Amino acid sequence: MQTLLRYFRLYFLIEAQYIKARMQYRADFIISSIGMFFTSLATLAVFWVLFQSIPNLAGWNFMEMVFIYAFYMIAISPMQILFDQVWWLRYDVQLGTFLKYYFRPLNMMFYYLSERFDLKGLTQLALGVVLLIYASIKLGIHWGPLNVLLLLAVLFGASLVLISIVTIASCSAFWITNSFPVLNLAWKLREFSPYPMSIFDGAFRFVFTFLLPIGFIAFFPAQLFLRPQEVSPLIYFTPLVGIGLFALTYWIWMLGVNQYTGTGS
Amino acid sequence: MKHVRTYWAILRGSMITGLVYRFGFIFTILGNVVYLFVAYFLWHSIYRNSTTLHGLTFNEAFIYVALGSTVFILLKTYAEWSISREINDGKIAVYLTKPLDYQLYWLANNLGFTVTNLVAITVPTVLLLIFVFKVSIPLGPGLLFFPLSLVMAFLISFNIDYAVGLAAFYTESTWGLSMTKEIIVTVLSGALLPLQFFPDAIQKVLLWLPFQTIYYTPLTMIAKPDQGWGVFISMIGVQFAWTVASFVLTRLFYVQAIKVLRVSGG
Repeated sequence: MQTLLRYFRLYFLIEAQYIKARMQYRADFIISSIGMFFTSLATLAVFWVLFQSIPNLAGWNFMEMVFIYAFYMIAISPMQILFDQVWWLRYDVQLGTFLKYYFRPLNMMFYYLSERFDLKGLTQLALGVVLLIYASIKLGIHWGPLNVLLLLAVLFGASLVLISIVTIASCSAFWITNSFPVLNLAWKLREFSPYPMSIFDGAFRFVFTFLLPIGFIAFFPAQLFLRPQEVSPLIYFTPLVGIGLFALTYWIWMLGVNQYTGTGS
Repeated sequence: MKHVRTYWAILRGSMITGLVYRFGFIFTILGNVVYLFVAYFLWHSIYRNSTTLHGLTFNEAFIYVALGSTVFILLKTYAEWSISREINDGKIAVYLTKPLDYQLYWLANNLGFTVTNLVAITVPTVLLLIFVFKVSIPLGPGLLFFPLSLVMAFLISFNIDYAVGLAAFYTESTWGLSMTKEIIVTVLSGALLPLQFFPDAIQKVLLWLPFQTIYYTPLTMIAKPDQGWGVFISMIGVQFAWTVASFVLTRLFYVQAIKVLRVSGG
């Protein structure tokens, strides 16, 4: 408990310094936030155009897709805001700058990831929350305290699922150095998570549920609030899926860190 | 002639650099294959209740979207990231002292990557489309125009990236600009959805913008090649006009932007 509190305090201190440093570049923050805003809305715009031609997608109407997409935007925000540093791992591994983390009296994964706090991700989070509320009103979803708790729990799990998939992809840098193609693949997969899983055939549904569980990032957990009666009870275990995957991620990270010997540059 | 040799050397250099990351191709191809399957299922369910939508059959729409993703890989060279990095860290000064045209230098460099990708990624994808997804590409005059159209699409796309890269003379925010450009280009060019699907009023506006010439023009030629010659000739004409315009505008922009350059040390 003591250690946890210490790490919590440290994280706060590190990020406060980081944000102060970033605030020197105010224009960058504004332009990046605008970029984030458009990026977040682009998929929604494509959905909107598509729904001009079809009444529903595998039985899901436009507003339900907005709800699922809003859930998705919130679920991917912790990855964007807190874990953005994983995109730099391949450079640090290649240039050898990663070695300095071996000499700090802190958990390496913690210290490495705390190097960056992505402010523009907050735009995505805010937009997701606004859209979720909007879609809930339009769909007449009732939010009791129990439902809100369930939402927070499954969002926590869904975020961890994405964080784990992307971080594992990033860790491949310890073995193959340039992990960009692997990372890019993981990043692309994430975009398929809001689609109704019923459009896929059996093999793909199996992969997206059990092997690369992107279904847990958005569609499955969002279903709990749209059509709870159609959901397999398994989906209630989303938080456990997330925690389990994150434990696996940590194990792979440690494995990579322990065998990494530098690239000699 | 001497110039051609210079830029040819740059092009070859970047082709070879591209080959260093052979391992990466496997993942890019894998990513594209997964995308093809997702697109297949998605469009299958879009076409569940209709045989044609906006004059496109499932087969045509799927060819459009599937080839759209491989053309996307060809045209996405991340040039704006490299250019703006060079400008921000002052490395551009090295090029200014050489007898090189900065735009042509980057064009040759990008073309090298694109050629490598064409062989390593596009060819396997097309084979996959034909033999695994069993799509049938109809024959028609459009196919004859496709190669030329793809080259011009590459040039227009490159010039847009180049202009965004040059914006680094004025701001350090490369991420925001690149992302905004990326989204504008992918959505408005018809890279994700054929333009026919957009509401009429929006479609009219999009046809007046340069972005549709990057994806919609070449992809229409291959997805719906059995139309009259006139259709394709006017499409190529519009594309040619935008190619010329994009070169003129970027060269004017460069002349303006280079004036604000200050490199301190290095």
